[in-house]
Amino acid sequence: MKKNAAASSALSTEIAGIKFQNPVMTASGTFGYGMEFGGYTDLNRLGAVVVKGLSLKPRAGNPGPRIVETPGGMLNAIGLQNVGVEVFLKEKLPLLKGLKCRVIANIFGETIEDYAELAKRLDNAEGLCAVEINISCPNVKKGGIVFGTDPIEAARVVHAVRRSTGLPVITKLSPNVTDIKVLVRAVEDAGTDAVSLINTLTGMAVDVERRRPVLAMSTGGLSGPAIRPVAVRMCWEAAKAARTPIIGMGGIVTASDALEFIIAGASAVQVGTASFIDPDAAVKVAAGIADYVKRHKTTVRELIGSLKTG
Amino acid sequence: MKNRIERLCEITHNKEVSSSYFRIGLKWQTPRIAPGQFVMLRVTDSLDPLLRRPFGIYNVIDAAGKASLRGTGIELLYKVVGRGTRILSLKKPGECVDVLGPLGNGWPLPRLLSSGKNRWGRHDKIIMTGGGMGIAPLYLLAKKIKTGVVLFGGKGRAEAGLTKAFKGHKIRIATEDGSVGKKGFVTELLKEELGPDSAVCACGPVGMLKAVAALADDAGVDCYVSLESSMACGIGACLGCAVKSGAHGAAANRDYRMVCSDGPVFLSRDIDWEAL
Ligand SMILES: Cc1cc2nc3c(=O)[nH]c(=O)nc-3n(C[C@H](O)[C@H](O)[C@H](O)COP(=O)(O)OP(=O)(O)OC[C@H]3O[C@@H](n4cnc5c(N)ncnc54)[C@H](O)[C@@H]3O)c2cc1C
Ligand SMILES: Cc1cc2nc3c(=O)[nH]c(=O)nc-3n(C[C@H](O)[C@H](O)[C@H](O)COP(=O)(O)O)c2cc1C
Ligand code: FES
Repeated sequence: MKKNAAASSALSTEIAGIKFQNPVMTASGTFGYGMEFGGYTDLNRLGAVVVKGLSLKPRAGNPGPRIVETPGGMLNAIGLQNVGVEVFLKEKLPLLKGLKCRVIANIFGETIEDYAELAKRLDNAEGLCAVEINISCPNVKKGGIVFGTDPIEAARVVHAVRRSTGLPVITKLSPNVTDIKVLVRAVEDAGTDAVSLINTLTGMAVDVERRRPVLAMSTGGLSGPAIRPVAVRMCWEAAKAARTPIIGMGGIVTASDALEFIIAGASAVQVGTASFIDPDAAVKVAAGIADYVKRHKTTVRELIGSLKTG
Repeated sequence: MKNRIERLCEITHNKEVSSSYFRIGLKWQTPRIAPGQFVMLRVTDSLDPLLRRPFGIYNVIDAAGKASLRGTGIELLYKVVGRGTRILSLKKPGECVDVLGPLGNGWPLPRLLSSGKNRWGRHDKIIMTGGGMGIAPLYLLAKKIKTGVVLFGGKGRAEAGLTKAFKGHKIRIATEDGSVGKKGFVTELLKEELGPDSAVCACGPVGMLKAVAALADDAGVDCYVSLESSMACGIGACLGCAVKSGAHGAAANRDYRMVCSDGPVFLSRDIDWEAL
């Protein structure tokens, strides 16, 4: 018993005062609302499930083709299809009750008010431990400029969400910026409790036979192993600039991939595209980190930011 | 809680049955499989190509060789069209592939076989229409609906070779080059066979399915089509395989349906054919 407790605490990590049994979460949009994976993996062995991005009203999403495989990755333009916050609270969240993993809601809006209203609706939801704000969406009121690439807009979203909820706030950053450190500081000053990154990199694929974009929306977000070195670099830069914990993601498939992020400064990681290839991927990553921690006689907390340079 | 249906399956055979068409056998103590369901295969242990590949279940093998929906193995029929299928075609018996499945919803057998005065209920005649590779999932269906008629449309002799396994069923063939059967499209055969008491089950290229659905609609009969779409997860999580729903039918309140988890078999009037 005691040995087990010690082993489990060696894996645990803390973000904004919340303890996670291990540092492995599922990335939003790659794990449905959690139960889709119930038959394929043991949700109890995850640090947290981050659910599909939620909006105030249900959203239909984009026409197809929505996805295309690319070297070592994939492009997606799902269009943030989701059931809406009300259905999530009524029908999806209750299904995750009683699990050992924590649940984080990912939210997005088209106006600052959308974000604030979403945060308010989720505030007292039983079973949620935090909200993650996806700011990689266009602000319809401001003529479509993307919240996440403008530090002032990003800060306004975070500020509005911060004021609307007592839950810890994680801000998810877009990699499609010149200097990630500027964004990190902006959202921290606006009151975020943690920063997660990276969201997908904007990309495109062309069908040369038809001379048309493969995706119906022309461009899409690149994810998967192809983006991992970019993601590790950005997490490292963000961690150096940040006062709050970093949650790293982008192309993680194995425990070793995840450890790159943790050693570079992430307090936790998220597994995304890998869950499509192996629905058990996140649990395997957690198990692999447990092996590593044992082998190196260390703890996850000691590993965070333990990168040696120079 | 965890009840995985992802497993390593040993390859029992992997043979070219017709030019660039292969039949692969996988050892697998299967759960009950509905004709029209599919599996997602990982063709490599490496991350390149990255995603699993979807294939309809062609056949369920059971020890007694009967038309069971449970068995000790499955067969897939596939065409080499790109990197993934090429890698698959080079695999040897004894090697293993990672299989996720059975996935999705197949043809509504109970409805098609609903008891009536002549066992078929209101559908006296089930017409199974396959175009090219689309013949694959119809084999298992034909094994269950023995008195139905199978219509096959293909480019020429190589594709028509795929129908060899159907001997014992009533089958009619159309080829574009006229090398086998009637010269022309399979829809010509369908026009001849369709009647007010028919139901159509179809799988094949979108253009063919569109034409089949339109014919069935004109005849006022039910038509169940199996669709294809690019897939990442196969289990309804990534929302990547969406097709637009039609204006009427059961899906009227939902704009998009997922081919992997709502389908791959859909009632044709639930699909917006203009958007495909
Ligand atoms: C439900 C379903 C059942 C299928 N059943 C069969 C079958 O029984 N036999 C068979 O030969 N083929 C079947 N296909 C098509 C088969 O999945 C593709 O031929 C295969 O994925 C091609 O992979 P590739 O790497 O060789 O080709 P590439 O063109 O190199 O593949 C590139 C990407 O596009 C995707 N892709 C390419 N063609 C298709 C397609 N037609 N449909 C969906 N995704 C595609 C691939 O999965 C991959 O992600 C089915 C598809 C679906 C969706
Ligand atoms: C199909 C798909 C859907 C996604 N949907 C969302 C989403 O709704 N909200 C969000 O914040 N991120 C979304 N993402 C981004 C992922 O959460 C993650 O940041 C990104 O994919 C990088 O991680 P990966 O390489 O491990 O997949 C999505 C990614 C994919 C592939
Ligand atoms: S392939 Fe992921 S939802 Fe259908």
